[in-house]
Amino acid sequence: MDELTKTLHERFGHASFRPGQRDVIEDVLSGRDVLAMLPTGSGKSLCYQLPAYFLPGSVLIVSPLVSLMEDQVEQLRRRGEKRVVAFHSLLDAEEKWQALASLPDFRFIYASPEMLQSETFLAALRRARVSLFVVDEAHCISQWGYDFRPDFLKLGAVRHALGSPPCLALTATATPEVQEDIIRTLGMERTRRHIYSVDRPNIALAVEHCLSVEDKAARLAECAKRLRGPGIVYFSSRQWAEEMARRLAQNGAGRVAYYHAGMDGEQRLLVQQQFLYDELDIVCCTSAFGMGVDKGNVRFVLHFHMPAQLEAYVQEIGRAGRDGAPSLAVLFYADGDRAIAQAVAEAELPDSAALREWCRRLPEDAVGGGWRAMVDAGGFTDIQKRLLAYFLEWGQTAAPEQLTAAAKERLYERMAAAIEARRRWKRKKLREMEEWVHASSCRRAAIVRAFGEELSDKPDACCDNCGLETDCFMADGRRPEPAPVRPWREELWHMFFGGRRRDEAAK
Amino acid sequence: MRHGYASFLLAHCLRRLNGERTLAAVYHLLSGKKSAQTLQDCKWFQLAPFFGTWKDVTMDRLEEAALVLVRKQRAAPVHDRTYILTEKGRHWLDEQAASFPRYVNGWRYHEVEPLFWQRLSLIGQTLSNLSHGQRFIPICRDERTLLWVKQYLLGKGSRQTLVRALYDELIRLLAAVSEEAATVFALRLTSARRIGWTAEQIAAWLQKDVLYVQFQFRNALHYMMAEAEAGRASVMAELMAGLAPVQLTQSAQKTYEWLQKGKTIDEIAALRRLKKSTIEDHVVELAANVPDFSIAPFVAAERAAAIQAAARALGTRKLKRIREALGGIASYFEIRLVLAKEVGRWMN
Repeated sequence: MDELTKTLHERFGHASFRPGQRDVIEDVLSGRDVLAMLPTGSGKSLCYQLPAYFLPGSVLIVSPLVSLMEDQVEQLRRRGEKRVVAFHSLLDAEEKWQALASLPDFRFIYASPEMLQSETFLAALRRARVSLFVVDEAHCISQWGYDFRPDFLKLGAVRHALGSPPCLALTATATPEVQEDIIRTLGMERTRRHIYSVDRPNIALAVEHCLSVEDKAARLAECAKRLRGPGIVYFSSRQWAEEMARRLAQNGAGRVAYYHAGMDGEQRLLVQQQFLYDELDIVCCTSAFGMGVDKGNVRFVLHFHMPAQLEAYVQEIGRAGRDGAPSLAVLFYADGDRAIAQAVAEAELPDSAALREWCRRLPEDAVGGGWRAMVDAGGFTDIQKRLLAYFLEWGQTAAPEQLTAAAKERLYERMAAAIEARRRWKRKKLREMEEWVHASSCRRAAIVRAFGEELSDKPDACCDNCGLETDCFMADGRRPEPAPVRPWREELWHMFFGGRRRDEAAK
Repeated sequence: MRHGYASFLLAHCLRRLNGERTLAAVYHLLSGKKSAQTLQDCKWFQLAPFFGTWKDVTMDRLEEAALVLVRKQRAAPVHDRTYILTEKGRHWLDEQAASFPRYVNGWRYHEVEPLFWQRLSLIGQTLSNLSHGQRFIPICRDERTLLWVKQYLLGKGSRQTLVRALYDELIRLLAAVSEEAATVFALRLTSARRIGWTAEQIAAWLQKDVLYVQFQFRNALHYMMAEAEAGRASVMAELMAGLAPVQLTQSAQKTYEWLQKGKTIDEIAALRRLKKSTIEDHVVELAANVPDFSIAPFVAAERAAAIQAAARALGTRKLKRIREALGGIASYFEIRLVLAKEVGRWMN
């Protein structure tokens, strides 16, 4: 057994590598810059977690979502790794002085992009000697990616400030143009690319065309009732997720809960864990659910609303069938869904009249840091502010010291043009998604084509256009009754003295 | 109560307010707004137990609840957004006495309640899984709580003894609240056999109003905290460590208010005609006693880290020795602040 496999076994409890992992790890260990696109559920995190045990310094992991970071940290700790720390916010850093002072002692340092804007934190990182700079969900760097986060753009400068340690950019969904963006923004050199197909052969694909929203709701409810779970149903709004969760539960679809970003942290965690432990059959959710939910046996992913981009769709259905067993993805479509998707996608774009007004109100000496505060005071939504700050930074490079009326107008026009370009691009992505929905040829081939690949092998259960037998995805017989709820005294007794294991108890 | 717990809560507030305040006052009170006016209202109208007990309440929900009361002739409008209970309303409220969350004490517990619950539920989950010999994913993500629970459990000798004590105490405490509150509480707990249910899931199962379920839960939780503070529940008292709201000295409280208004130490000293060192004493008191009090404005993060590292390395809390170890760069005030913050976090 070689060193890598030995460590894989000892530290991570796996006997062998999954496809792609070993090649990526070997390139990382040879000090190369690596861009790895591996399908969801293929064990992306191992690509930096294992090298960490061979590298002299710390591994810095930048991640877009706090919950994602928490999941990773929790998983590492469960494997017995103590030298791991996560910084999400500046307040957090204050809480963790001690960790900050002893940063070099940590093998894994997780940080949000926000944290990396802090000079203090960067100084501490420099002392820690970062051996590997990891960017998770690297497609967030590109404004042409489906989940653009402007604060990821600064990561190139951060990496440079840390002495340009070798870089590993990880993603599950990046079109060729997004891949180029990642490499350029992070300043990666002689990059080794490991691009694995986005195709997930064990997920069968189908689209149901419905007559109306009501028809869609009825057909989805019927489908959810008959399919073998567990499963996830995606919605584009919180209200729909809540509403349909109630409806599915009433309609005999088993134990159903909803999940969205409007719930408090504890509620979200409870629902996520109930799903993880098979105590729920279906979660009705917005796109907030899924990242970091590491569950192998998800048997179906349904979409009540069409995402605004194919990349988002691929990412979301990728949560099915991580165990490799046959799974099903169905998108329900009705007229009018395009307009909904467009409205959701363009909600981040500020209204041009409001933007012009805002530009006019800028004080004449507003330069540098003062602009940020102006963005906050503009009455825009959070997501608009994020984008605006980005466009502003970009637009002001041409702005003079003194903001005369003419200069303000030029600034507005520059920003408006950038926003318009983004709108056009979003519409193009939406058209691509919509064409996929209405396609009459193989859906699988169309997906991989969008990522610049060719489909080499078609599974038997491919897609509705290739002919799909859905019987094998249906539940056989009645759904098992959920465990009964006992009187509270008994519940408590079983909690502490029940003694039997969960799976035995379920029998 | 299947529906309308919001109306019940509102009716209770209206009775006490007696037409002297608008719905906005109820809103501020329930959501826990810390304005002088709201704090005064709490005391004046004896509504302190409800302070901050419904944090995500909206004006819409209250107006809707008011509308229901009016429609059922339980309340009548007197001015714009101001209502008083009718005779009928008072009778109805009295009949609902069983739904009244008698142990709820928002005034005292609304801030520390989440932390206490995190500790209790995580310890319950941990002990349950240990007893069942299972690995598990913690039901809490808050690192402060994770660390606290870990140290707490490590500091306990026998696990069996603790399990027994916790179980006995939970049974005894829950027996003192209503059967329904006890049921709600037990279902909210996470064990090795079942992930805890959300209030909404419990409400659906009991076929009750979600808000009602939340208040039943809170009622049980606040009862446990009160019993802990009264010295009648030793395990709960341990979980309350450092959470019991401390009374600041009146003078420190004053300084705190000025700080919140953005005044510096020097300015406050001038304003109050006190010595600067006195104000500094107050700041140290605040650092030790107010959990979310940031000392960042008074000591740079790097210096704080250095002070902390020195204190640990020397294994001392002697200010002079720490100061010498740092070559005299840190002031005594800065060192006291860092240590006070530490004490606030770990010792109690």
